[in-house]
Amino acid sequence: VTRHPARRGLLAVAALAAAVAIVITAVVAARPGHSPAQTFVPLAPAAAPTEWRHLTLPNGTAELSYPPSLRAIAGDKDAVSAARLGPGGSFQLYLNATPRQGTEHPEHWAAFRLSRLRSDDAVSAHQDAAAEGVKFRGGTGSCVIDDYITRVGGHHYQEIACLVQGRTSASVIIAASPATSWAQARPLLLRAVAAYLVR
Amino acid sequence: VSFALIRPVAGLALLAALAAGCGHAVAAQHAAPKPTATAHQHHHRAAMPTVVPTSPASPASTSPANPIPQGNGGDQDADNNGGPSDGDGNI
Repeated sequence: VTRHPARRGLLAVAALAAAVAIVITAVVAARPGHSPAQTFVPLAPAAAPTEWRHLTLPNGTAELSYPPSLRAIAGDKDAVSAARLGPGGSFQLYLNATPRQGTEHPEHWAAFRLSRLRSDDAVSAHQDAAAEGVKFRGGTGSCVIDDYITRVGGHHYQEIACLVQGRTSASVIIAASPATSWAQARPLLLRAVAAYLVR
Repeated sequence: VSFALIRPVAGLALLAALAAGCGHAVAAQHAAPKPTATAHQHHHRAAMPTVVPTSPASPASTSPANPIPQGNGGDQDADNNGGPSDGDGNI
């Protein structure tokens, strides 16, 4: 007779512990800035809307399209960039195209990109998704979606970075936003990536 | 109370505690400040590329080496000043 209340008590304690653990895990996972693993969003290569503007790489091998809400900004002399800046000059949306410069290769692009981030700009970088054989206008690419925290300012960005091989050359397109607004920015950024034209 | 009852209950409690600990560790790698942004919504039909599996528990890792000076260093573009990283090959 005395064992049943004790058993019920222990089971209640165990159930409570399990419930608390589940709640804690769910709350932590839902915190802002947390980037759960995600699948790669397929691209549908297509020309940009007519009102969009275009920047051609200085070597003429690719064309970056960007919406009127962004403006061209200065960057490396062999690259082109466009951005939407917020108050204080913070980056809200960022697009960049750069000719391939180093040992980037489609088969290890994701690892290369993360390594490059960690060795240059970021204190940490995390891969969220990746894909190979992605169709682009004029070529095929490898893409990685990742997020990283900058060494300067501790800014948390999320990006899609693609190495795109055209008929005669390869280049990189970057589309990024603050990680906290990635979900909102992603459709427009992916639209710009899908409009990227390589030759 | 018999040991036969205590063991499974203790095991369940231990599993619960481990689950909570793992969730906290993953989220701790993603501390995130940042401004907000808005964007237009566009929808388009999708072609399926080959998806490369992503390791589910790959943690954010750090690198002690930084060959490019930060704080308007390197090539003095945005990514050396806390902006998004560009697509250069770090050469």
